[in-house]
Amino acid sequence: MVRITDLPEDEREHLIGKKLPPLGPRSWTKHDKPLTDMRVALITTAGLHFRDDESFDFTDATFRPIPCEEDSSNLIMSHSSANFDRVGFAEDVNLVFPIDRFKELVSAGAIGSLASVHYSFMGAGLMPNAYEQSTREVAHLLKRDKVDAVFLTPV
Amino acid sequence: MTTGISLVRENAESMQPPRSLWVSFPLGRPLGVPNDASFQHGVIAASLALLEHRRGPVLEDYPLDAPDVCVKTTPVCPVSFPKSDDNTDWESRLTSELSSLKPWYEIGKKRRGGRSLARLSNLSIDKNIRKLGKYLDLNHLPIDELQWFKQAIEDAKVFYLEAMTAEPGDYDQNQIYQKLWHETQLGAGLFLFQERFAAHPTLHPFARIILPRNAAVKTMN
Repeated sequence: MVRITDLPEDEREHLIGKKLPPLGPRSWTKHDKPLTDMRVALITTAGLHFRDDESFDFTDATFRPIPCEEDSSNLIMSHSSANFDRVGFAEDVNLVFPIDRFKELVSAGAIGSLASVHYSFMGAGLMPNAYEQSTREVAHLLKRDKVDAVFLTPV
Repeated sequence: MTTGISLVRENAESMQPPRSLWVSFPLGRPLGVPNDASFQHGVIAASLALLEHRRGPVLEDYPLDAPDVCVKTTPVCPVSFPKSDDNTDWESRLTSELSSLKPWYEIGKKRRGGRSLARLSNLSIDKNIRKLGKYLDLNHLPIDELQWFKQAIEDAKVFYLEAMTAEPGDYDQNQIYQKLWHETQLGAGLFLFQERFAAHPTLHPFARIILPRNAAVKTMN
């Protein structure tokens, strides 16, 4: 479990119904340095933020910054979808946002460094184009932070 | 450059992100297994390895499934939900149920090192539950405070779930959610809110955030 064929019919049809074409022309960035020298950022669409941050609205294309040095165990979730499990995330932030795993990779020298700020979106209820402005803004912030690669997690 | 995880292979196939690792894990669990650093590192390593490809898009399948929950060792939900007298009002039924959950919520919170997903809302869980009960009793929808409603139901659901999984162990997700939707007063109240929102001429999309699409299907024995 779980492959899409294992899901109940209505759930399966809903997810397959999201099939969308590629977003614009195909893009490909060649890696020009080894992973051990790369600076990596995490981006999730799980609707994560700290308790004092504004929670995500019913549909919401904005993003929340997650400073790398903040205590990630204080992250909470205001995702609008009721169609996924919350119990696992309550047990372990890393199940959705594997920041401790990436810190371990930096300590082990497997990757160069982590971005000073990571980001969360809330992926529900909107078509991808609605996120264009905020993703451009995040891309700009990542460039400024000299990030080489981004690790993306859905929920 | 990006790499990452995909939970729905068909969506990654059609949208063609540059690099994506499809995993067979349940929605809500992209790294597979909570509190299992070794398993999570395996998933991350497979995804980071995609950065080495010279051309794309690359969509690879992660070869491991998340281990099945062993039914024999699955902890039983410590909370029992007696059938309530339907003649009492919603507010009383919900506040009474909340009281029975509170000790378990605190035990669960302590076990998780003080961590809890509840308190999205500025109001306490007691105030939120009472307010939800009042709306149900009055047969009204919170049309003037939808953001509060979204936060309040999310808080209520995670409060219940954290109490129901207070004891350590690997829970059967289906069993826990089935109990929440079909044995609790909160579940019954959420079905009512969902029904009322679904019938509203303009606010019907809000019905989607209250319960999962398959909540009405009882699968528990």
